This record gives sequence, structure tokens and C-alpha cells, in this order.
Amino acid sequence: MNQNAKRTGAQALVESLAKAGTEVLFGYPGGQALDIFNCLTDAKFPFVLGRHEQGCVHMADGYARSTGKPGVCLVTSGPGATNTITGLATANIDGIPLVVITGQVPMSLIGTDAFQEADTTGVARGVSKHCFLVQSADEIPEIVAEAFYIATHGKPGPVVIDIPKNCQQGLTSAQYPERVSLRAYHPESAATSAQMTRLAKLINEAERPVIYAGGGVIASGAAKDVATLAHRAGIPVATTLMGLGSFDERDPLSLRMAGMHGTPAANWAMNEADLIIALGVRFSDRVTGKISKYAPKARIVHVDCDPASIGKNVSVALGIVADVKDVLTTVLSRVKSATHPEWIAKIDGWKKSHPVTWRQMHPKVIMPQAVMEAIDKATSGRAVMVTDVGQHQMWAAQHFRYSIPRHFLTSGGMGTMGFGIPAAIGAAIARPDHKTVAVCGDGGAQMTFEEVVVAVEHKLPVTFVIINNGCLGMVRQWQELFYGKNYSGSILTVRGRAANERLEQDLKYDYLPDFVKLAEAHGAEAYRVIDPAKLDATIAKAVKSKKTTVVEVIVEPRANVYPMIPAGKPVSEMVFK
Amino acid sequence: MNEQTHRLNCYVENKPGVLARIVGLISGRGYNIQTLNVGPTEDGTVSRMKIDILGTDKVVEQIILQLRNQVNVIEVTSRRM
Repeated sequence: MNQNAKRTGAQALVESLAKAGTEVLFGYPGGQALDIFNCLTDAKFPFVLGRHEQGCVHMADGYARSTGKPGVCLVTSGPGATNTITGLATANIDGIPLVVITGQVPMSLIGTDAFQEADTTGVARGVSKHCFLVQSADEIPEIVAEAFYIATHGKPGPVVIDIPKNCQQGLTSAQYPERVSLRAYHPESAATSAQMTRLAKLINEAERPVIYAGGGVIASGAAKDVATLAHRAGIPVATTLMGLGSFDERDPLSLRMAGMHGTPAANWAMNEADLIIALGVRFSDRVTGKISKYAPKARIVHVDCDPASIGKNVSVALGIVADVKDVLTTVLSRVKSATHPEWIAKIDGWKKSHPVTWRQMHPKVIMPQAVMEAIDKATSGRAVMVTDVGQHQMWAAQHFRYSIPRHFLTSGGMGTMGFGIPAAIGAAIARPDHKTVAVCGDGGAQMTFEEVVVAVEHKLPVTFVIINNGCLGMVRQWQELFYGKNYSGSILTVRGRAANERLEQDLKYDYLPDFVKLAEAHGAEAYRVIDPAKLDATIAKAVKSKKTTVVEVIVEPRANVYPMIPAGKPVSEMVFK
Repeated sequence: MNEQTHRLNCYVENKPGVLARIVGLISGRGYNIQTLNVGPTEDGTVSRMKIDILGTDKVVEQIILQLRNQVNVIEVTSRRM
């Protein structure tokens, strides 16, 4: 193209998105994004039309989580932009790279309460890594390049580009920059040689070490290095929820997930450890429990790319601001081959005496944990598992054996209900070579069910498994355990509601919606399973189907997630049933 | 731990939205800004902010680390008043 040729800001945007590596754009149109949409038909990348802007952002998020590349999303101004806020917050707290483009009213109308005007950068600021408000068409190529850079460097996160309509229409000859150089933002940081010496010494001298691996291991592509370190120095590995898949759970050194609903072995090992090597974690309150009683015997080494994360929640003996992979590859040569037979024997004892298990409560009613095992079996543990949020999310974490990074996609930090269905669509578009299974509760499934049509339209062989217990299970569980069984607002069936929510009992249905009919109305192949004897076969059939499938599994409503360390309590108060 | 007044000295890029992001980061944690002073430096593309906040050392340190993470923040220093 002629360097001086002018094109509109909208054309420059679409061209810049392609140059930034956009493979697919998720979004939803509207008045103040029309100029951009007008150029999309000539774009080098396909456009996927969602059905709600929240769904569009979660799709871009699912794409990003399963590939590590930034997900890209385009919406209009006002309500289009405000509908992205939950999706931005979800990606922000989990460190997921997104570039979200929002239309804006023309600059001449900003501040006049124009139709569909909202202060998008003002609203998005607190839930994003960075926001740009474009002031002229000339800025667009450079801002796009900077947005992709910011989204993917340092701790990844979502970046918003708000583009007033007059900037979309304005003419510019500005070109996409070959290099991005930001004056104030230089997130790259490396460990010092003294830190590496200290780290190697701590590892070599530890008697009861534990590696504690989080989402940062996956973001940094360091899973293989974690395994190498663990095997060389004989160190057991616990993961966070976000870190599932960073270490093979079938490995004898795996302690599986730590935290509130983690395994007793993982939590007790951290409690007894003399060294915790924390890699790409942020010591969430869901893992530490009572902070003053967390890992009382351990020296903690914390490696993270975010300087603000180190020492934020726990005091550390050694904090290293650096890329996890860089640190591990450097330290490996200094780590001595070791085994810790007594320590491992103790841990193996815990694994044997307190496995994470479940029991059938009624012979004719499916236990939700059995659904996760059925999915594990039907996909040989190789599915990309996407979850919504609640009890089923924890059961999915506990009863599916994870072995591959980027194969467990979940809203960890924000706990966003409605995440599962759209995120699974984004993941399935990104990774057509893998089977994607989304597990949702009946509550969360109703928040974004409209996106199922997108899977059907694009012929994505995703299986959406709806764990239907007729209630908002995790809320109900907390009410049962901590609020005197006062089930306020958590029961979705007509029967069993609190007095102030009571409905007439002569309704035709005890439960709405009928998920099978709903799924069929959306064009999906649908199954309902009630009989425990038919669970495995139905899941296997749905998973093998080349079509978009929805499986509604009616499960035991009284089932709770155990083990559990109640919020703010120490490990010693773990509850097993 | 005792709360004390800390003066933060921030050098930031002179761009729209930067002040809002910095103030939002502090006020969003429930901390009140006692004094806020923003002005140009000799380099017209850089602004200097003097921010006085009341907080414990630990909280203020965390705020400083978060401020340094911001894309438009060049440098932050602080001292107890």
C-alpha cells in the first residue's frame, strides 16, 4: 500500500488488528460501531457474532485461555460497552490477555448525554489493565499495537480501546508501527544472580519442600520445567485452581489442588512443609485460609512477574520478580538430584488415608462427582474442560485428572457465573483439534445460554453438560453450613423455597426451564439423564457426537463439595463431610 | 500497625485518564487522599503528582507497587511525613 494513501480510521483499525495477529474477532454491532463493522467484511480474519456482549468477551477470553494469544472483541458504545464489564473483570483478575474495542459517540457529543453514550474508559478503568480513549484517526494503528503489547507483556490483562465515531470516519495515513516502545511501561524483569544462588540453596537444603504452581506457570509456558524441577529434586507439586494442568495429576509427585476445596494431602503438605516454592501464584484467600496460620513451618519463595503480587498476602523469605520459565531454566542446573523418602512417604500416607472421594447418597440419583468421572472416562482425560462457577466447578477441579496446560478453563478470581458456555465456544473455535466440554450448573447455564446458538451455527462439536440440582448449589451449601439452613434466594424449583419467595404449587412444572427443549430450540442435540446406570453411556455418546450437544444431568441436590476449609479458617479446621 | 501520612511523588505521562486511574487506584481501596497536587515538569510530556495519603506502611507500599504497574506511571517515590 502507498505509504501516504489515506483510509478511514475504521479501515486502519481493521488493518491494524490483522497486523497485530488477530485470527478471529468476537463481537456485537451497534450504532457507534457501524463504520468498523462496515470494514469487517473485507477483513483478513473471520467475525463471530455473539448474542450478548458479555458472551462475546467471555468467548474472546476462552480463546485467549486456550491459546495464550490475546482474544479480540468489538462492541458498540453505551450498553454494548457496559455489558463487557463483567467479562473484563473476569479476564483482569485471572491475567488473561484481551483487546476489547468499543465504539463511542462522536467527540463533539461526548459529555452531552448523547444516545448510547457512556463514559466507557471511566467505567472500565477499575476492571482492566489499561484503557485508551482515541482522540484522532491518526492514533489508531499505534494504539492498537500498544494495546496488544500491554495485553501480553508483564502480567497479561484486558485492554480497552474506546473509539469515537468521528475517529472511525476520519482519514489517516498513519501506519502500523514496526515496534512498540512505551515510555513508562517496562514490565520485563529478571532474577539476579544472587537470587538464583539463594533459590538453589534453599531447594538443595530443604527437607520437606513443596512446589506450589499457579496460573503463572501456564501463562509462562513453564509446565515442563516445573516437572523437570520436581522430578530432579524429588519435590511434590500442589497447584492452585488456575494452575490445574501445569503438572500432571497422574504423576506420583502430584498433590493435586490446594485450598478451600483442595486435597487434604496438598493442604497438609503446605502446612508441614519447610519450603514452599510458589510459582506464578498470588496466594488467594481461597488457598491460604487464615493467613496468620498459613504454612507456619515454611520459608516461602515467591516467583511472579507482578511485583505487586509478591509479599501482598504472605511474607516471603525470597521474592523474585521474573518470568517463571526463565527462573526455572536458570535454577535447574544448580539444583542437585535428590529424593525425600520420609517426606514423600508421609504425603503418600495422607493420599491413601484421605483421598478426595464421594459416596452415593441415593441409589437412584446421580451424584454430580460421577458426572466429572464420566467425562474424564469418555475423553480419556484429554478434553478441554471449561467450567462455570459454583459447586460443579469444584467437582470438575477435583474429579477430572488434569495433565495438560490450557485444558482447564475457569473463572478463578472473579467467579463469574455465565462464563462457561461462551468461554467454551471461544476455546472450541481456537482449538478445533481438541474436544471441548463445558460443565455448567443450572444457575450459570441460564445466564448465558443464548450463546449456544453460536456453537450450533459454527458447527462446533462442543458438549455442554448442565449439572442440574435445582438450586444454586454453592450458595445453598454455604447456607446449609453457615446460615442455619436458611435457603434464601437459592432454590430454583417451585418446591422448597423460603416463605417470602413461595410460588403457587399448581404450576405445571416444578422446574423451569426444560433444558432439553431449550437446547433443541437453539438447534443443539440434547439429552437428559436421570438414571445413574445411563450416565456413562449418555456422556460418551454426547462427547463422541460431531454436533453441538447439551446434556442435562439431574443430580443429587443435597450433594456438597468436600473437603472444605471454611473461609478464613486454618487447615486444621478442614471438614470432610 | 499505625497509620501515618505518606507523601507519594509520582512522575506520570501527561495524558488524559492518567490522573483518574491513579486516584481511582487509591480511592477504590477506601483510602482518602488528603492532599493532591498536580503540575507540569520542565518536560511538557511529564506531569508530577504529589499525593498525601493516610495509611499503614504495608498498605502504602502495596499502593506504590500497584501504581508502578500502571502503563503511564514513570516513577513513584514516597516518604513518611
